[in-house]
Amino acid sequence: MATIAVPLGGGQTTQEIEAVKRPALSEYLRWSVDHKIIGVQYGVTSLLFFIIGGALAMGIRLELWTPELDFMVSGAAYNSLFTMHGTIMIFLFIIPMWAAYGNFVVPLQLGAKDMAFPWLNAFAFWLIPPAGVVMLLGYFVSPAEAGWTSYPPLSTLFSGDGQTLWALGAHLLGLSSILGSINFIVTILNMRPPEMTIWRMPLLCWAVLATSIIAVMATPFLAGALTLLLLDRMTGTTFFDASGGGDVLLWQNIFWFYSHPAVYIMVLPGMGVLSEVLSIHSRKPVFGYRMVGLSSMAIAIVGFTVWAHHMFTSLQPELRIPFMITTMIIAVPTGIKMFSWLGTIWGGKIRFTSAMLFGLGFMSMFVIGGITGVMLAALPFDIHVHDTYFVVSHFHFVLFGGSVFAIYAALYHWFPKITGRMMDETLGRIHFVFTYLGFLITFFPMHIVGMLGMPRRVAVYDPAFTDFNRLISFAAFVLGFSTFIVLYNIVRSYFHGPIAGANPWRALTLEWATTSPPPPTNFHDDPIPYEDPYGYGTKAASAYIEAIDMAFDRREPAPSGAD
Amino acid sequence: MTTYIERTEKQKISDQRAAAIRLKNNRLGMNIFQVSWIMAFIALIVVNWQLRFNYSQWPPAGVPPFDLILPSVATLALLISSVLVVQALKVLRRGFPMAFLVKWRLAIGLGALFMAIIVYEFLNVSDAAMATQYGNTFRLMTGFHFVHALAILAIMCRVYQGAKLGKYSGDEHDSWAVEGAAKLWYFVTFAWMLFYLVLYWIR
Repeated sequence: MATIAVPLGGGQTTQEIEAVKRPALSEYLRWSVDHKIIGVQYGVTSLLFFIIGGALAMGIRLELWTPELDFMVSGAAYNSLFTMHGTIMIFLFIIPMWAAYGNFVVPLQLGAKDMAFPWLNAFAFWLIPPAGVVMLLGYFVSPAEAGWTSYPPLSTLFSGDGQTLWALGAHLLGLSSILGSINFIVTILNMRPPEMTIWRMPLLCWAVLATSIIAVMATPFLAGALTLLLLDRMTGTTFFDASGGGDVLLWQNIFWFYSHPAVYIMVLPGMGVLSEVLSIHSRKPVFGYRMVGLSSMAIAIVGFTVWAHHMFTSLQPELRIPFMITTMIIAVPTGIKMFSWLGTIWGGKIRFTSAMLFGLGFMSMFVIGGITGVMLAALPFDIHVHDTYFVVSHFHFVLFGGSVFAIYAALYHWFPKITGRMMDETLGRIHFVFTYLGFLITFFPMHIVGMLGMPRRVAVYDPAFTDFNRLISFAAFVLGFSTFIVLYNIVRSYFHGPIAGANPWRALTLEWATTSPPPPTNFHDDPIPYEDPYGYGTKAASAYIEAIDMAFDRREPAPSGAD
Repeated sequence: MTTYIERTEKQKISDQRAAAIRLKNNRLGMNIFQVSWIMAFIALIVVNWQLRFNYSQWPPAGVPPFDLILPSVATLALLISSVLVVQALKVLRRGFPMAFLVKWRLAIGLGALFMAIIVYEFLNVSDAAMATQYGNTFRLMTGFHFVHALAILAIMCRVYQGAKLGKYSGDEHDSWAVEGAAKLWYFVTFAWMLFYLVLYWIR
């Protein structure tokens, strides 16, 4: 029989446990080296930018309600609208939001007292607010309007000073991302307890490890590209100007060498979250644990070989086929994950909690985004739908249907640990319904208008697409409204939610083997991980979970066999 | 319960073990930084590489190639400086702080010589070269490298000041600043070797 290892904390008195209070709200506004505070700082900052980026999206959909230019004063104003929407959502919402969960959860899952470099961690966070402000300051000069991809010559010859601020802000965010990722890699490789081999590590840690490897290897390329852009804009060099011997494709190559892997920076942590959430809320071990961990690494590696599929229409023809093949290959490790998730929930005791609903939502949406990704990898199809709404639909299915759904799943799942309070499940389910339907009806029809030929990044379109666009805009407003439900739920639950206890989901990973919220040093003593982080369904697992309950919540032992 | 009791009976991590973990973390963090940030230099090599294809020959027609002698002297100075840093670290570990200071000072001096030559080269790119990407990429790459070399040389000077005050013993746990600065200087050297080959030799 497996060893029943009991996490630490059991020796404490009830008074000691009750003494763990939530940090005062003012602590979140100050410099702190506590990874839990920094995690919340990342999270709240990202959420604020999510609201700004979401408001800009509503502006886009308002403009597209009619085929004419009516809501925005000019096409240029519309350009800056979608430019800032994309930039904010990618650089200031999704990427830092994963840093939020990574920061809060990863050291806890590893049983560590903090990240490897706490000061560096705080520094990496505090680069983000000024970077965001610098980017937004563009609105006071002339905002960036070359799209989030910032292709020259749009970003050199046809964009105002806001584009320079955009590049400076992106530079700071890149630095933050590199520093944060170095910290994650060192923490994950060096700070595990002796019992936790790399093959016993929670899958979120695997995902964050893979993400961080991508970030440290790819982000320096973004720094290189941005340096060239700044030089071209400010010092008169001609790296992107053909008249001076430069090359506009240079930007595309270097930018996408970062930005395609960045797509995986945005989704891999979500995949890690999904493995956690699906397993815990269906009380089943993760199906094919090793393959899931390794597939994260495979995605990270193969992700570096596909960047030129963004340039199918501008690339030398002889390079198209190789990039088409590598792009299709990346569907394999992604497919492994999808089948693992299906295998995980198959036959499980599924609890339809809000976290689980968003997890299932992720699966259904991401599979659509994945399939359209393979469609776009096919060269003849890609050339047909290049720069149309089909592409807009595809990447929203992976970035919203994927990343944002996973962010919501993670929120409902770890909110009790972060705040010590449960979120309201009824509101959570209402939020899910509005988000799921709002999202699906917003983005699915975009496939159709895209294939019919509606180009992306236009404020004025063929009136034949009006009905589709009205439907899309209406659903987008519903989707926008759904955000207020979760915001209300967060605030309400923070103050009035039921007390969560240490382990409300009866999970086996170490972040649940301490109080909610955890004390400043995370654990009162070195915790002992359970031998299999997802070994649900055994008596030993039930005993471990009961031991946590006994240690922290002083409950009576539950009837055995429940897990 | 057995494992719990066994485990709680063990003592908490001693200060010594914490220091060992700190050093291990610092070393791994530095290695990751080196591998990561070298990618920024590789990105600039890619820039140089791609822009070459816009010309039928490299250097472009009518542009004289860069002189090799001075930059090679600079490169040699940088290499010797890096070797001195290796030796300095060794003698510090063996407990010869005075020998460390001599070697470290010499390394800083050679590093400064390297940088002075590169500045001279940067300022003396011909107008013909500057009219093409041959000169543009040269200034981009040497300038980018210079900024890093300058910052890291400043760190080496700080370490020198600290060492003069006797801050670092031979023990590896309390001389991380020296080891870290040395590793950053190896980084500068390695990055320059890549640039040196691309800028001066690969045509």
